[in-house]
Amino acid sequence: MWLRFVATFLSILAVCVAVLNIVPWMDIQRWAVGEQRTVQNAMAGALRGIQAGDPLAVWTLCSTTAAYGFFHALGPGHGKVLIGGAALVSGVTLKRLSILTVLSSLAQAGTAIFLVGSLYLLFQVSSEVLVNITDAWLASASYAAITAIGAVLVFRGMRILYKLGQAKQIAHGCCGHAHYPSVKAVQTLTSARDVVALIVSIGVRPCTGALFVLVIAARFDAFAVGCLAVVTMGLGTAAFNLTMATSGIAARQLAGLGAHNQESMQAVSATLHVTGGVLIIAISLGMLLPYLS
Amino acid sequence: MLQNLNQNLERKCKLSLNFWSKLLFVMCLGGSTEAHPHVFVDARTGFIFDADGQLEALRILWTYDEFTTLILLESLNLDQDGDGKFNDADRLAVVEGETNWDPEYKGDVYLEVAGQDYPLGRPEAAAVTFENNQVEVSFELPLSQPVMVSGTPALLRLYDPIFFYAYTILPEVRPDSLPEGCQAQIVSFEPDAVTSAIQQKLAALRREEAPSQENVGRLFSDEVHLTCG
Repeated sequence: MWLRFVATFLSILAVCVAVLNIVPWMDIQRWAVGEQRTVQNAMAGALRGIQAGDPLAVWTLCSTTAAYGFFHALGPGHGKVLIGGAALVSGVTLKRLSILTVLSSLAQAGTAIFLVGSLYLLFQVSSEVLVNITDAWLASASYAAITAIGAVLVFRGMRILYKLGQAKQIAHGCCGHAHYPSVKAVQTLTSARDVVALIVSIGVRPCTGALFVLVIAARFDAFAVGCLAVVTMGLGTAAFNLTMATSGIAARQLAGLGAHNQESMQAVSATLHVTGGVLIIAISLGMLLPYLS
Repeated sequence: MLQNLNQNLERKCKLSLNFWSKLLFVMCLGGSTEAHPHVFVDARTGFIFDADGQLEALRILWTYDEFTTLILLESLNLDQDGDGKFNDADRLAVVEGETNWDPEYKGDVYLEVAGQDYPLGRPEAAAVTFENNQVEVSFELPLSQPVMVSGTPALLRLYDPIFFYAYTILPEVRPDSLPEGCQAQIVSFEPDAVTSAIQQKLAALRREEAPSQENVGRLFSDEVHLTCG
């Protein structure tokens, strides 16, 4: 039982590491950085257009912020680790996870709009203080929450494995038929609590790019246009995170291919919880550490 | 704003050595080492020599991207009349924010002479322009002591250890004339070289040679090689 768990755990980890090493991340990131620069300049041009009263500038701004959201999401953070991990471990459908992904990106946009609308416009807090608050508090809060979710996943997986082990003992020693934990118990993200935790942990930290777009738009007396642009930025981020959701679900289905009965399906699901949880913890801790030390 | 960001950055820089060494572990998992940059800077560099042919100062020029320029305009409240031109007060505010930096912050400028990090002074002769929707800051950075460059090339690197700022070194439009026998060559960042360098670092980590002493950030930077003689 434990041997099989360890073997599955290690092989999933090995596959993840292999995939990550085969993909030319350095080249992709370089390309993304180049694209981001182009998009960022286009965004600036659109914002100047809005200042000048160009009616088409709203459209240009929204399309460029959507592109910015997409390319920016290629960097570390921005919840894609969690989305990918959640897709890997939970039993939710792609449709449900897609809605979750879009909602969490919109929550990020909402946080940015709330912060700029309240602190900057209402309380006249300067933009640098705003960015510092985001960097110092909200980013670390987000990473901490994501790490905690990873820990919960590991805990859930271990609990199921423990129960599976117990059920086996009972099956051998007692009444001759096994009491396996119900399938529902191994699935994550089916409860409202899980959904809210996921959306909040991602949404609490706004993208600084979104803050700047809002602040600059506000300076040009076009805060409403800025809000619209930030929402489309969120949709761009969601578009990228959807690719993570899809690959996570594909990986889960791949891992479940060999499982034919309920017990082995649960064992796979439990192992995926532990593996996904460990990956989420490792990556989010890497981002959290600079705030802790 | 940028000065504040710099201070913020400087705080992160100090942590970053520790951060990078720990991140090496995650790098094995992720293979990804770069944070996404928010500020793009086109940099131009020059070398200033004294009458004795010793290198006495660096000339640095930063051209900010258009989006960062808008952020600067907003945070420092520049170009109030919106005519796309700076007045003296605007220029003063930018110079103050850009060059009056904390002693711990190195201006993201790093010079290596004869294989050793060479200490630099504080910015002098700073100037600001605002053209083509981009703010441009230039200044001179004197060396703590003028130094003769011979034998080993002097290396000039511009980088932000946490990659919040992405510097690209471009050829100077009107290059400073160098002493006879000297030449400066821009060596752009190549991902292949970087990947192998990281592998070397990882190997070093296994041998427990305290790689945190070394600044990993410079592996990703463009360089200017100054060779004399």
